[in-house]
Formats: sequence, structure tokens, C-alpha cells
Amino acid sequence: MDRMKPRHVLYLYLAVLPAPTFVHDPALLALGLLIALALAGAERWRILKRSLLAILAFNLSVSLGVVLVGLWQGRIDTGWLLLANLRVLLMVYLGFWFVARVNLLAALQGWPTATLVATLALGQARAFERLIRDFRHAFASRSIVKPRLLDRRRHAGAQAVALLDKAQAQSTEVALAMRSRGSFDA
Amino acid sequence: MHIPDGFLSPQTYLPAAALAVGAWAWAGRHLRSRLDETLIPRLALLTALAYGLGLVMLPLPGGTSGHALGVALLTLLFGLRLAFLAYSGVLLLQALLFGAGGLTALPVNALAMGLAGSATAILTFKLLRPLNESIAVLATAWVSVMVSGVLVALALGIQPLIAHQPDGTPLFFPFGLAITLPAVLLPHALIGIGEAALTLLVWRYAKSRKWIA
Repeated sequence: MDRMKPRHVLYLYLAVLPAPTFVHDPALLALGLLIALALAGAERWRILKRSLLAILAFNLSVSLGVVLVGLWQGRIDTGWLLLANLRVLLMVYLGFWFVARVNLLAALQGWPTATLVATLALGQARAFERLIRDFRHAFASRSIVKPRLLDRRRHAGAQAVALLDKAQAQSTEVALAMRSRGSFDA
Repeated sequence: MHIPDGFLSPQTYLPAAALAVGAWAWAGRHLRSRLDETLIPRLALLTALAYGLGLVMLPLPGGTSGHALGVALLTLLFGLRLAFLAYSGVLLLQALLFGAGGLTALPVNALAMGLAGSATAILTFKLLRPLNESIAVLATAWVSVMVSGVLVALALGIQPLIAHQPDGTPLFFPFGLAITLPAVLLPHALIGIGEAALTLLVWRYAKSRKWIA
């Protein structure tokens, strides 16, 4: 898989992803997960941990609902619990494995509009992350005692406006750079 | 209110995918000619905001999540087609980078939140703007969240009816409409209020920066 082009890995991922929704046998889904784990190489446990954390809250809430209904009806459907949780885990694992292997923007090459939107949104999201982290550190460094709710509210308001202005300025620079490189030429 | 991968049957996501591909093609027509160095930074900025809003989510017992959308905001500033495309991009990134939602669930999520949410936003805003602009913005955001919520709850709640074993055991999402509708709509009625306030704030910011007339 390492020698495959990112776009081909994307096609492979898109072709394999629906498969677990056609399988209703927990043993086969478990086998699929084992195969995916075996093929993922050294990163397998990191991807598995990430997948488990990503699905934990949602699957736990649905599974607990099923357990509660089962307790009320006098029969807990362990088969469904196994089937649904294995299916969701396998599908999320495949997604994270794909992202770990492939640069998403490289995989989208050939679809200029999709690449453009993904580049801008990803770049902007990272700019947001960085700005919010800077603001948080600055606020923490200026607060000797625990800030009151009113201080936090004032800080959040100032941060929101500054964030929007700064992010707008940054993305304007990106757009101008793209213009100068001919990105908007027909 | 993302639906995660694995809870929707192929009977649901395959027709939805066909519909979504058509809608994406329609929304993407002449897109590049509309994007210029003025619009792109604003679109990127608010798409990233919607991306961030969608990641602050609370799992709901009905099998989905509670979070603000930002669709009404995108729609009010950029129109239906751009809002739908931008929000679909947000859902794609959230699915791949955070496992929130998923690619098989993407068409349903995009149609419910991106397309229906955006179309509802436009209708509500057009209807209420002559009365009072601020109230129209607030109502637009709230109604858009609720309509998206109804569609997500319907998509989840019909799963036990359309995909089950011969003995009636569900193969995908286990709860019916009697559970999914209140589980999705009640929390989102509250979340919608927060989203409405945020939408109004950003709307006013956009007006102060002369992004809109």
C-alpha cells in the first residue's frame, strides 16, 4: 500500500468502507478488524486507540440505551451490541488508517474545487487553533488569580472579534497569494 | 447532530448518496467563477468557524450528537449553494480527521444539515426579514437547526423499520422515531437558541465590516 498513489488509496478506501454495512455477523466483522490491524503495521495500536476514543461517547450512549431497554424487557441483546460496536469500530478504524497513510490534500488532487475548499478550510481551522491557543496562554499569563466569570466573558468577547479579524486578514493573504499564482484564472 | 458511520443501512445511505452527488454537482456549477479573492477569505473564515462549532459536541442518548451547526450563518452570507458545499466540506473533514460522522453517513448528514438546513434558512429569512432583521436572523438559525434535527432523527428512527432480521432485531440503529425525535429535537431546541445568538453576533460583525448590504 505504501507504493500506491494517494488517489488510488482513496479509491480503495471508498470501495472497502461500505463492506461492513453488508455484513451482519459479528465474527466476520471481528475478522475484518483483525485483518485491518495486521495490515496497518506499526501504527495499528495508535490508530485503534484513536478510533476507540472517537466512538466511545456515541457508542456508549447507544449501547447503554440498548442495555437499559433490554433490562426493562428482561432480555439484553448482546448480539446487536457486538455487531453494532464492531461495525462502527471497524469503519472508524478504516477512516483513521486512511488518514494516517495518505495526505488528504494529495488524495484530492485532480478535483481542483475540492482541493481548493479543503486547503482553505484546513488552513483556516489550523490558524484558528493557533490563535485560540495564543489567546489562552496570553490570558492565563495575565491572570494571577483564578479569573471571575465576568473576566472570562469579557476576554471571550474580545477574543472572538480579534479572532475573526485576524483570521480574515490571514485568509485574505492566502487568497491574494493564490491569485498571484493563477489559482483563479479560468 | 452528526450520524456516525455504521448506524445507517445501505438502503438509506445509497439512495442518499445518489441524491447528494446530484446536489453537489448542481451546487458546484460555475463555482470557480464565483470565488474570488474577496469571497474566498470570508468563506474560509466562516467555514472554519462552522468546523469548530461542529466539533464541540455532546453525545445524545438517541445515538447522535448535540452541537451548533453554523449552516444558517453560511447561508445568510453566501447563499444556498455555497453554504451547502462549504458545510459538506466541513462534514468531510470532521469525519476523516476526528471520526465525527463518517463517509457512508456523509450524504445523509450533508443533505439534512447542509442542504435542508440551508434551504430552510433562506425561506425563513426571506419570510421574516421584512418584519425585523435581527429577529429574522435569530429565527432563521433556530428553525434551520430544528429542521435539520427532524431529518436526522427521521433517518435514524426509520432504521429499525427498514433494516432488521426476520425476528425483528434491528441490524443498524436500534431505536425508533418515538425515541429519536425527542432525543434529537429537545436538546437542539436549546442548542438552537445558542446558535441563534451566535449567528446574530457574526451577522452584525459581517455587517459592520460591510460584507453584506
